[in-house]
Amino acid sequence: MSISRRKFLGWVGAAGLSTTIGKPAAAATNKQFTGYPKSFAILHDITLCVGCRSCEAACNKVNELPKPDKPFTDLSVLETKRRTTTKTFTVVNKYDNPKYPKSPVFYKKQCNHCLEPACASACFVRAFTKTKTGAVTYDSSVCVGCRYCIIACPFEIPTYEYDQVLTPRIRKCTMCYPRVTEGLLPGCVEACPMEALSFGKREDMIKIAQERFRKYPNRYVNYIYGEHEMGGTSWLYISGTPFKELGMREDLGNTPAPQLTAGALSSVPMIVGLWPVLLAGIYAVSKRKEKIAQTEQEQAVASALVTDRSEPSQPEEES
Amino acid sequence: MVKGKSLPIGAGILVGIVILLIFGIDNFEVEALSKAPDQTPSYLYRPDVIDFDMLKDIYKKFEKPTAVFLHDQHTDALEKKNKDCTTCHLDKNGSMSLKFMRIKDVSREELTKIYCDNCTKCHAETLAVGEKAGPVKCDDCHRERPEIQSSRVEFGFDKSLHFRHYRAQKNQCDRCHHEYDTKSQKLFYAKGKEGTCRYCHKKETTQDGVEKMTSMRLASHLACIDCHQKTKAKNMDAGPVRCAGCHDAQEQLKIEKVKSVPRIKRGQPDNVLIKTGDKKERTPTMMRVPFSHQAHEEYNDTCRVCHLASLESCATCHSLAGSNKNVENGKEISLETAFHKRGHQSSCTGCHESKQQDKNCAGCHAFMNKTRQQESSACLRCHMVPVPERTGELSTSKAAQMARLMPRLWKETFGPIYTVDVPKTVIIKDLVDQYEPAEYPHGKVFDSMVKKLDNSKLAQYFHYEDTTLCLGCHHNTPVTGKPPRCANCHGKPFNPDYLFRPGIMGSFHQQCIGCHQKMGVEKYLSCTACHKERKKES
Amino acid sequence: MAQVTTAERKSIFSLFNLIALIVLGVGVYITYLRFTGGLAAVTNLSDYNPWGIWISFDLLCGVALAAGGYVTSSAVYLFGMKKYHSAVRPAILTGFLGYALVVLALQYDVGRPWRLPYPLFVQQGTTSVLFEVGLCVATYLTVLFVEFSPAAMEWLGLKRARNLVVKLTILLTIFGVVLSTMHQSSLGALFLIVPSKLHPLWYSSYIPIYFFVTSIIAGLSMVIFESTLSHRFFAFKMDETHLKEANGVTLGFGKAASYVLAGYFAIKVLGISSGNQWHYLKTGYGTWYLVELLGFVALPSLLYAIGVRVKSPTLIKWTSVLAVMGVILNRFNVCLIAFNWQLPASERYFPHWMEIGISVFIVMIGLVLYRFIVTRMPILYEHPDYKDAH
Repeated sequence: MSISRRKFLGWVGAAGLSTTIGKPAAAATNKQFTGYPKSFAILHDITLCVGCRSCEAACNKVNELPKPDKPFTDLSVLETKRRTTTKTFTVVNKYDNPKYPKSPVFYKKQCNHCLEPACASACFVRAFTKTKTGAVTYDSSVCVGCRYCIIACPFEIPTYEYDQVLTPRIRKCTMCYPRVTEGLLPGCVEACPMEALSFGKREDMIKIAQERFRKYPNRYVNYIYGEHEMGGTSWLYISGTPFKELGMREDLGNTPAPQLTAGALSSVPMIVGLWPVLLAGIYAVSKRKEKIAQTEQEQAVASALVTDRSEPSQPEEES
Repeated sequence: MVKGKSLPIGAGILVGIVILLIFGIDNFEVEALSKAPDQTPSYLYRPDVIDFDMLKDIYKKFEKPTAVFLHDQHTDALEKKNKDCTTCHLDKNGSMSLKFMRIKDVSREELTKIYCDNCTKCHAETLAVGEKAGPVKCDDCHRERPEIQSSRVEFGFDKSLHFRHYRAQKNQCDRCHHEYDTKSQKLFYAKGKEGTCRYCHKKETTQDGVEKMTSMRLASHLACIDCHQKTKAKNMDAGPVRCAGCHDAQEQLKIEKVKSVPRIKRGQPDNVLIKTGDKKERTPTMMRVPFSHQAHEEYNDTCRVCHLASLESCATCHSLAGSNKNVENGKEISLETAFHKRGHQSSCTGCHESKQQDKNCAGCHAFMNKTRQQESSACLRCHMVPVPERTGELSTSKAAQMARLMPRLWKETFGPIYTVDVPKTVIIKDLVDQYEPAEYPHGKVFDSMVKKLDNSKLAQYFHYEDTTLCLGCHHNTPVTGKPPRCANCHGKPFNPDYLFRPGIMGSFHQQCIGCHQKMGVEKYLSCTACHKERKKES
Repeated sequence: MAQVTTAERKSIFSLFNLIALIVLGVGVYITYLRFTGGLAAVTNLSDYNPWGIWISFDLLCGVALAAGGYVTSSAVYLFGMKKYHSAVRPAILTGFLGYALVVLALQYDVGRPWRLPYPLFVQQGTTSVLFEVGLCVATYLTVLFVEFSPAAMEWLGLKRARNLVVKLTILLTIFGVVLSTMHQSSLGALFLIVPSKLHPLWYSSYIPIYFFVTSIIAGLSMVIFESTLSHRFFAFKMDETHLKEANGVTLGFGKAASYVLAGYFAIKVLGISSGNQWHYLKTGYGTWYLVELLGFVALPSLLYAIGVRVKSPTLIKWTSVLAVMGVILNRFNVCLIAFNWQLPASERYFPHWMEIGISVFIVMIGLVLYRFIVTRMPILYEHPDYKDAH
């Protein structure tokens, strides 16, 4: 298949034009999103938590979640480790304290509202948004229910309503986005009697944590969990017990989740640009080889016929 | 289908894979899907484990693993046969040689012979009579025994034990205390210069010219075990000769403690005026500190807690600025650091601070900012004696006199006295919502704190005024008889202007629950213990 | 033991039909349960394990095993290997049915299947690898449909339309390879975002390449496998060319598969080396990894090579089963077995029998449709009206 110069130029032109369509894809870069300025964060001081579950009760009330089997004043549920469920956006878990065996450690677990959330990066309908307040919100009106966000979340937070047929949703902590935009505090923060949860600008939360390290050096592990984990989260933790002993993974690294797939995604334009050229080239080469083989065969036949010129019979053409 | 090699070859490969799997199959247990519980190892914890590290210098490199020698096991076995230490430890100039079957070190080959021949000989003899004994073959001794771990705890004298020895030796200090004369190269007794053995005998054997100071370990075993053994041989009461007697944690607890130890007589002062300049007192300095040396002797178990390198005054070694030579001896520590370094038991501040962690004190003291800048008037609690040039009549009094009188004089002259108006009950109704107001028995709590002061002279000294007790909760405010309410400073939480100040609810709970937790008051750790639930009207 | 004759099959109550009926019946019942009781009624999915065998088998394996389409068409049309021409239409058909069934499986797995067009038309999540997968799969399904359509058009007698479409073959083939490269590798790239959840032996920044290469292996092996089955059951439908070329296809594809498997083995080992993960091989998961790598990659490569060398189509056919199982095993490992490896045993996933039921149901639909098309349309033979068309 031979193409004319005109056709070739036409195709190249069309290909070039097509590159102007569409949004620029996020290729692998060094740029990292460090949060909207003035966005909020929550500092959870694990040394202050006494496991009273007031935060769980407040979350249940503010989000109008169904009543649990055991009331929130029942502290026996702390004997087993729990995770978030479709009816529980946050849980408090109890851990042993090796330094003071008589005072166990409690800490509250919920969505960490990462600066570059894995769920938002993974969602193929952009159902998650990292808002300017710092909250990562979920829009159930576009969710298809593929559950890739649950796969992607390194903290194992999102849950899915598998028992719903027509309206199954992803459920997770919203950082009380509607309340915060009205100037109120998130439900859990407001309810905590010990002020184990502090709310304010993310830079201020880090300042508070560092001030506490300075004032009480023997009380804390000198590390703010969430400052850099997975590129940084909006829920920061400080603790007197090493984080690993609380079941918080210390091996997540500081790379934001979107960067992990940015490399693979950025190869798409390369493949789209190069593969057709490569394959068309291979096709052209193979076609050419065929043609050459054909020509050689014809030549061989023709020369064979020439040597047979002595025969008076009609030359027969073989195709 | 073509017959031939394909089938056997394929089969051969499969066999290869199967073999690989068989060898790999025991790895299936290694990482189960769920984590297996940690297995507790069964170690043999003993205080008498001797490894042969001291022979490292002679042997340079061990060809086989060193044998693990259990000293007490052998002592006990020999005792059963009415044999004593001299079986292995030869006599050296009247005292016991600590080396095995020799008085001085020999070459590698000879050393090996001494150990192997003697050990195996005794073992073989014991086995011959049908009793249990150690190994006779090389590899049975020279093998790793990871199941045996040393539980040896360090041991040292405290004043009670010293007193018991003092009593037993009938006040003959020269029995143990000595100095070294480099000219005559002999040990001699220097009266008035007795100190702890550790001033000269350090962790490792050191050589300073001709004076060789054996390590504390060797010196103490030589001095102590030798004497104990000889005393026991005379059928008198003596200290232990077995390793476990001194180095086992449980046995250490059984050592008799004398209740009130009389003061060691070494010519130490009763009261001292700690000067704050260098020895020559050249420049104007910080106000001096009257110090009751006698009282502090009672509070501590040893002298070396404070007197780290010698029994002289602190300024002998610690200069004002700290020396840049002599950095191993601690002389680089400045005088001020020596007295005030936090976290170190030898400094005044460090020791006092450690006492604040006591359960009776921690309720307030655990929450005080460790790095806070105290008001300069706080220094006056100790630094109360003006320097001589600055005073008139006071400069004529003797230092010791002044040290004794000053605290009382100061209190009478400078200390303010407030009447403390402590309410009996405080109704906290700032946050009534889910719960009824809390009724805080303020008077009862305050009285109990005052009562706790009786247990500690240190606490009484610093809490000379009852109002200082208020500062535990009514903090960041000047001391008066009527401190402000919490709500005066603590309002809504998360105020960006006061980033480090909790809101009113957090303040109450952090202060109250924090104190209860630290002081072990378990009664008041549930919500309704302090405030009853509010019954919903609607 | 082939008993088939050139006549049509004897009766409608054959064993296969009976089994098909049962499977389809059970499948319909489970479908009813799924769409009245939600996912919870028919699956063992949980918040720790949101993806089960509907993703790992129906989606990941289904897409990989349908890769024969682009592999065969590129071999014949782009690389000019005309002797495999008879394998193109069956491969395209397998590919088309495979992708169509993947879309069918998605209707079950996804929470709101009626919203599947949303990522394309309502709101695009372009940061997501899954978006790229969806876009490419949807486009490629269309391409496959168009590539398949000449056979249907020949059957329906739409001569002009058919000739028009055939002119597009090269373009469609190129487009198909481009799309396949992207979505095959992107299915692997889905797991790049979870280094903390996937076992280090299977997690690598090269996962996309691994998935792409194994798709080629799967495609080649599936063509051999499916041609074996076709010859067993539909030989009566095959024409001279098809029957003549059959062994050549088997040997040729076996040779190619041997090379590709060897290359894949090499890059897997290089991946372990570059990640310095040798110490993981000593663990339980390591042994399982070696089973996958040695038993299902190295061994088929060797057996394919032997089969080609001694010219034994039988050996190659059996090896193709092994290779296909290897690709399935690899997909299962990445998605289910080595995924969430750090969770305690109580939280690990095992499929509900109804999930298996639906997967079998979907495969059965594929088999039934394949049989329907192959016995009516010119797949295994050339339509007499278009004999000289290629």
